[in-house]
Amino acid sequence: MNLAEGVQIVSFGILAAMMLGAAIGVVLLENIVYSAFLLGGVFISIAGIYLLLNADFVAAAQVLIYVGAVNVLILFAIMLVNKRQDFQPLRRGWIRKAATAVVCAGIFALLSTMIVSTPWAISTATPAGDASVVVIGLHFFSDFLLPFELASVLLLMALIGAVVLARREFLPDDEADRAQVEALRLPERPRELVPSGRDETVN
Amino acid sequence: MNPGIDLQGSFIESLKSFGLPAGAAKLLWMPFPMLVILVVAVLSVFALVWLERKISAAAQQRIGPEFIGPLGILAPLADGLKLAFKEDVVPAKSDPLLFTLGPAIVVIPVFLSYLIVPFGQNMVITDVGMGIFLWIALSSVTPIGLLMSGYSSNNKYSLLGGLRAAAQSISYELPLALSVLAVVLMSNSLSTVDIVNQQTGYGILGWNIWRQPVGFLIFWIAALAECERIPFDLPEAEEELVAGYQTEYSGMKFALFYIASYVNLTLSALLFAVLYLGGWEFFVPIGTIAGFFNISETAPWLQVVAAVLGISMTLLKAYFLVFIAILMRWTVPRVRIDQLLDLGWKFLLPVSLVNLLITAGLKIAFPVAFGS
Amino acid sequence: MDFASLAVQLNAGTIVPEAIVLITLMTVVVSDLIIGRQASAQWTPYIAIAGLLASVVALFYQWDVANPISFIGEFNGDALSVVFRGIIALSAATTILMSIRYVIQSGTSLAEFITILLTATLGGMFLSGSDELVAVYVSLETLSISSYLLTGYTKRDPRSNEAALKYLLIGASSSAIFLYGASLLYGLSGGETRLSTISASIASAGLAQSIGLVIALVFAIAGIAFKIAAVPFHQWTPDVYEGSPTPVVAFLSVGSKAAGFALAIRLLVTAFPLVSEQWQLVMTTLAILSMVLGNVVALAQTSMKRLLAYSSIGQAGFVMIGLILGTDAGYSSMVFYLMVYLFMNLGAFTCIILFTLRTGTDQISEYAGLYQKDPLLTLALSVCLLSLGGIPPLAGFFGKLYLFWAGWQAGAYPLVILGLVTSVISIYYYIRVVKMMVVKEPQEMSDSVKNYPPTDWTLPGMRPLQVGLVSALIATSLAGIFSNPLFTLANDSVLKTPMLQQALGRSKAPIAKQMAPTISQQLSLQITEVSTKKAVSLPKSMVHS
Repeated sequence: MNLAEGVQIVSFGILAAMMLGAAIGVVLLENIVYSAFLLGGVFISIAGIYLLLNADFVAAAQVLIYVGAVNVLILFAIMLVNKRQDFQPLRRGWIRKAATAVVCAGIFALLSTMIVSTPWAISTATPAGDASVVVIGLHFFSDFLLPFELASVLLLMALIGAVVLARREFLPDDEADRAQVEALRLPERPRELVPSGRDETVN
Repeated sequence: MNPGIDLQGSFIESLKSFGLPAGAAKLLWMPFPMLVILVVAVLSVFALVWLERKISAAAQQRIGPEFIGPLGILAPLADGLKLAFKEDVVPAKSDPLLFTLGPAIVVIPVFLSYLIVPFGQNMVITDVGMGIFLWIALSSVTPIGLLMSGYSSNNKYSLLGGLRAAAQSISYELPLALSVLAVVLMSNSLSTVDIVNQQTGYGILGWNIWRQPVGFLIFWIAALAECERIPFDLPEAEEELVAGYQTEYSGMKFALFYIASYVNLTLSALLFAVLYLGGWEFFVPIGTIAGFFNISETAPWLQVVAAVLGISMTLLKAYFLVFIAILMRWTVPRVRIDQLLDLGWKFLLPVSLVNLLITAGLKIAFPVAFGS
Repeated sequence: MDFASLAVQLNAGTIVPEAIVLITLMTVVVSDLIIGRQASAQWTPYIAIAGLLASVVALFYQWDVANPISFIGEFNGDALSVVFRGIIALSAATTILMSIRYVIQSGTSLAEFITILLTATLGGMFLSGSDELVAVYVSLETLSISSYLLTGYTKRDPRSNEAALKYLLIGASSSAIFLYGASLLYGLSGGETRLSTISASIASAGLAQSIGLVIALVFAIAGIAFKIAAVPFHQWTPDVYEGSPTPVVAFLSVGSKAAGFALAIRLLVTAFPLVSEQWQLVMTTLAILSMVLGNVVALAQTSMKRLLAYSSIGQAGFVMIGLILGTDAGYSSMVFYLMVYLFMNLGAFTCIILFTLRTGTDQISEYAGLYQKDPLLTLALSVCLLSLGGIPPLAGFFGKLYLFWAGWQAGAYPLVILGLVTSVISIYYYIRVVKMMVVKEPQEMSDSVKNYPPTDWTLPGMRPLQVGLVSALIATSLAGIFSNPLFTLANDSVLKTPMLQQALGRSKAPIAKQMAPTISQQLSLQITEVSTKKAVSLPKSMVHS
């Protein structure tokens, strides 16, 4: 074992321990803020493992997207609505916890048996290393063109959907035909609507 | 092209001549550039604090620090000493663990980003393929630290400051990344060294600032916002939020925030110089000067001169930008938080997208001038 | 390489129908942005319907393409996918017809609703033809995420919020499980993502009977079963159907479900032929559970939307019979049933929307005596419900007949008998509603029906609702008797699909299947060339590392 291999094994051990510890913390800690911060730790450790796997672009993208965007958004959501609420401890709550633990342990045992017993085909392709960005780009614009372009539609729609969900709802400006439409109604009809365009002009 | 001075190569060679194996020599070399950069980055904080004081004084027609050392040059040192010996207060109802961790998470990514700052052809800690993307990715970690310290202080001003800081840095990351992407598009590489090399050959005329005037302005605005400098220092706006997420901090923990903000400013200025001002390039190409005096480009002494010139050019450009940033701090009023977010999302983001589109179009139309 | 030659090389002609939907979507978004909400509500729905119908016409021309494989193996526009894409596009068009008045009435904006619905349609259409794991996953997510948004579209209504949240949470976890299964497939096959090559490489690696493949299968089925709402992955269905806006439910129960079935056929047949016994066993279990649970629980429902939710679970169970059989007749009966289901289910939802708009409720008891006030609505709803139950002259009867006949032919006797029993149960609860509407005496009329407003078809958005109602009525009542064209279409779609014929062991692999890999090989060559060139031209990376 030379120096590089030793460094790799030690870093893998550290990263794996970090990731597992943080992940267990995310699930088990009572304080949701701690869970959210630890989730960031999980993401960072995964990025480290990507680095060890010679996928530096994926690692950087992981940090940018998961830590920089997803986790920060989660934290935002938690901190803006952080209502401290004491939950009544469930009677016989431990049964649920124990059952969950048993199920999780079972799935873990199943999956790890599967992983160990399968003779995985190991790719012989040389890792792209520094040129990985170029290779990824070529794939995006050749054999993965369709999902790449479809993802742009997906993102556009997610953008529109987020705006729809987040904006204040307006009533149509002309209330004139309201009486005429009174014949029709829906259970979903929201009653306390703000007329559109009014409060903008006020302030 | 001038291959530049290869310090690593010569260091390893000289150690090998003492009979060390190549691996061990490399191992000895590895911490060296990191230490140098770390020390230089911390020293730059002192320089910046001093500059800030002197320039602010000049802007307000005062003298500024004068008696602590020549021209008050030791004033920042006194500041540092004060902070180092100050009592480290952890508020009673705070969350001590997160309270301590917050400043660390803010500082670490900033220092890590120095990995990719080049001072010469071979004078960079590591020329990874990710290059500039690494910086963008790392700088997106900082908001977590800010949120952490804002939350753990158990103080509404701190929490608001932390939330503002995170919102601000998310909003301005997008135009920043998009304007960097336009530069990357021209140089066909994310590596900072390649980006500088793509600007070489024509001296000052080859710098990206002429080809990316819009991107350059967007980058500067976004970088100021990322560093939370006035006019974008909303997270610590003292009239509204006492001091934002730093309110409860004192002693070395406060000093960490302080260091991080100045180191980040230097970093942004350095990368600005690399991306738009030709990095280590002199105003006239070194090769042209050497050709004019009939000197071989590979002469050892010329390489040393070129390396020194490269470092000083990079620093010169960066400090010019720092000077502008400080001048702005003392001359420009602060924007409001809604204006700040409007500017980021409704103006800078579309403009930077259009800039990217135009750059791509120009690259196809004029491959000679915009990178092929 | 210019654009035209690139399009030819990618064989981009096969996605023209999707391109039409995409252009329609962009037109709706941009025109709504430019001319404003009030003005755009007048005509964006009609643009969207026109676009969807144009897409169906374009699909018609895709029927007999020589080479259905496009985008270097990403997309397979074979006859089966054409039929499914047609079903999805038609269901979206009908959904828009019924949603115009509804959305205006609920005080939300119409253009965004149509945009999101069109995106869901696009996702579903791509999902029906995706032939590669990444494309499958991205289109699945396009469909799912737009469905979550549609579910929560009437955001001032707490029921809608609850439905959206439940749907999102369960959907996200099911798609995560699906993704895990897909990644296992990728690993087992040694880095293959194309469905058609996965099974071959797994077989050549000697992993045909490995536990990993079975786990991948179970995980993939978990993702699919969520989309088609098969028991035990159905828990979201009743709550989501009850809470979300009714047109959305109509789309979810037809379009989204059809896309799920398309994915099920393609994935199970092409990627899991090595474990076909296992997947048939799992699907049989799911089918039995769905038929029994869906139809039995539906008996106890008091809300019309919940009733249809459980009925749709039961219907999914019937359709799965066709999938399990693994015969020509099985697949084509499945396609046929889905086509019939499109008309009758959407017709039923149109009627419910109309009733809800008039009375503001969807309780079954409130339908009492409707015949006295609105004979047309009563007729349409009765026909659709009876057709769903499978009463003879209507379309649903022939659909079920074909399914059960195919099952009997293939020797799946217990399954067919169970199907017969459960459809008899289903007839009970469908007829209960019909009886409620028709035979009540005037004095037993419910309060809502007593206050039933006079029908006014001239209000904005009511005319399309009328058109949808009448056309669904006609289609449901006549599609059964004149079912021959639909029948031929379903049969042809199976016979002309190389993937199914190959799986049934009938024909050799067509030329088109062999052509695509050569293109991708060329491409991968090109890519390795570039990467090596890059590695050579950047020696500094070696200097520093």
